Amino acid sequence: MMDGAMNEDWVENARMIVESARAVVPADGTLARVRAARFQGCGFDRAVMAQAAELGWPLMRVAEDAGGLGLGLRETCALMEVLGAGLVPEPVLSTITAAALLQGALPEEAMTGEAVIVTAWQDATGDQGWQGGARDGALHGAKVNVAGAEGTDLFAVLTGAGVAIVPRDAQRVTVESAETLDGCRPARVRFDGVAAEFLPCPQAEAVLQDARLAHAAYLLGLSGRALEITLDYLRVREQFGRPIGSFQSLQHRATEMKISLELSRAAIFATARRFDAGADPRARAHGAARCKLRASGLAMLVAREAVQMHGAMGITDEADIGLFVRKAMAEANTYGSPREQRATLAGLLAEEHAA
Amino acid sequence: MTGQPDYNAMSDDDFRAMVRSFVEASYPDIPRHSLSRLHWNEVKPWYLILSQKGWICPTWPREHGGMGLTAGKHLIMIEEFERFGCARVNDIGPVMLGPLLLRHGTEAQKAHFLPRILSGEDVWAQGYSEPGAGSDLAAVRCEAVRDGDDWVINGQKTWCTLGMDANWIFILARTDKTVKKQAGISFLLVPMDAPGVTIRNIDNLELEAEFCEVFFDDVRVPADHIVGRVNDGWSVAKALLGHERVFIGAPRLSASALARLGHIARRAGVWNDPVFRDRYVTLQCDVMDLSDLFETYVDRLRDGREIGADVAMLKIFQSELYQRISELMMEVAAEDSGLRAPPEGDRQLHAAATWLSARPTTIFGGSTEIMRNMLAKAVLELPS
Repeated sequence: MMDGAMNEDWVENARMIVESARAVVPADGTLARVRAARFQGCGFDRAVMAQAAELGWPLMRVAEDAGGLGLGLRETCALMEVLGAGLVPEPVLSTITAAALLQGALPEEAMTGEAVIVTAWQDATGDQGWQGGARDGALHGAKVNVAGAEGTDLFAVLTGAGVAIVPRDAQRVTVESAETLDGCRPARVRFDGVAAEFLPCPQAEAVLQDARLAHAAYLLGLSGRALEITLDYLRVREQFGRPIGSFQSLQHRATEMKISLELSRAAIFATARRFDAGADPRARAHGAARCKLRASGLAMLVAREAVQMHGAMGITDEADIGLFVRKAMAEANTYGSPREQRATLAGLLAEEHAA
Repeated sequence: MTGQPDYNAMSDDDFRAMVRSFVEASYPDIPRHSLSRLHWNEVKPWYLILSQKGWICPTWPREHGGMGLTAGKHLIMIEEFERFGCARVNDIGPVMLGPLLLRHGTEAQKAHFLPRILSGEDVWAQGYSEPGAGSDLAAVRCEAVRDGDDWVINGQKTWCTLGMDANWIFILARTDKTVKKQAGISFLLVPMDAPGVTIRNIDNLELEAEFCEVFFDDVRVPADHIVGRVNDGWSVAKALLGHERVFIGAPRLSASALARLGHIARRAGVWNDPVFRDRYVTLQCDVMDLSDLFETYVDRLRDGREIGADVAMLKIFQSELYQRISELMMEVAAEDSGLRAPPEGDRQLHAAATWLSARPTTIFGGSTEIMRNMLAKAVLELPS
């Protein structure tokens, strides 16, 4: 457990972190930077990653005795919520995850922000397995859906043998990226017998559960802001001589979004609190899956309703709400789709054997 | 009745242990874990035991015979009662009228009525709804006209839960027809044995007489049977809802229904069925998410913060979730879902009982639709 995990000052920590995020996410909600960065180059801004390092974000989940900040998951979720509201395209969570896996072995240049490091963990799309990739002291095969792969300097490659640090431009490493709807470029990264040193990583599953939960918080932030924008539109858009927000059918659907949003928020922060206090492995697996299930559903609910409630404006690229819809579509299923979460949860139910 | 200890000074754990051992030692020989309400003749022993102990009105101040519990301690008490499956007593006096009189009643009213609630001498019914005034409560037509030193009441009230057990009823009556509808309503106290009061029981879908209609035909009550000022009954009644609103959204109904769903599924041999599990885990997550949201409100109560209109979200989600669980129960029970009596005499297997008991939860205490209207305006700030 992180040194600071039991810290009761988490509210103040979170407030400071959220404040620091204002350097990256404008308080007025403007999305000009995010809009301009889409479909350009590597899909994110390396200068923002350097800024994130200056703010100490990569070290959030590194223990204090390993030179990190030792902050809890509640603080991480609070940060991710703000980044989600701002549709931040930079692979901040992937960097935090890499650092959490590596702890004291996080390279100096990744700590200072000179270099960007992201995590390559997933073996196959639609599956949360990460054990593959290591054979005879070398990396083989591929890791998929690697966020920020085109703009990173280093990969933290997670395998059953441990975690290995691999430069992006190393021999026998191939990055095959594809544009996503939101204008990012996640990639399949192939390793064709790359000699590597594997650092044991007994906490790997827990770190990925943390990431799943933190990603749910990103979706929470995205959904919350999309709902605000949609409510603003309902208040001002007039038809039949009245604001459309006065129509009961739209009001009731808006309350459904609000309820789902508040359930997500409560579940995410209560689960993060339990993680910080030291939950057992089953409770961790269950908690991360439950929060991700709720948040994915929330993001897609709000995306659908936002489009419908914006009418024709909702299907233009010009309106900012479209940026939220595209991000929701690109991100709702990362760290596992609702189907995968339900499968995980179903597997956690005790088997009943026929007498 | 006086001299109650300061329970709030106890640690939560000690308080919980004390409540638990009292309940286990003192609960009378009446049903536990009942899905339907018990009538006064069945539940009276439990009411009197609580009364004797000084525990019948947990939230009233100690100087008025209550326990003076904080919301946090009250929650512990509720949890322990639920855990044991204690029957709900006729609690309209302790929960609704008592707090209302403490706030709006005259000294004489408090001195007369509060001890009689504490002792169980008076059992109260609520007379708000009418055939033409349900969700639109301010449309009440039941009328009270001043005649000398009396109010003369004519009209009808309905959906009075356990009204047939009550010897008193409080009503919202129209006392001025010339003003805006909310502005012409008064809050009156009426003895059920007054000449001109007639009761007719209404059987619910479970074929149980859980509520009744009450007819008023030239019923006379003294002028001092009004609470608050004349024509101010609407605000008197609205102020009634305090932190009780949080408990309406507690996850316990859904959590216990989910446990019964698991029981029915095992008995039906579908517990391992992936189709069932897919739906079960979704409901399980819903219950746990609701618990987490509920806890945020409990924290607010503990910290003494105000509970706003947003608390309606709890009630909406809880009641709809309870219904969704009951719907899967009906599917899993298959043909047994149509049985009037519990299969194998096991009430835990009775899907229909849960399905039926889940229906009123989205109707009473503010229908889901009215709650959503209110949320849209008060919380989401959508226009009228």
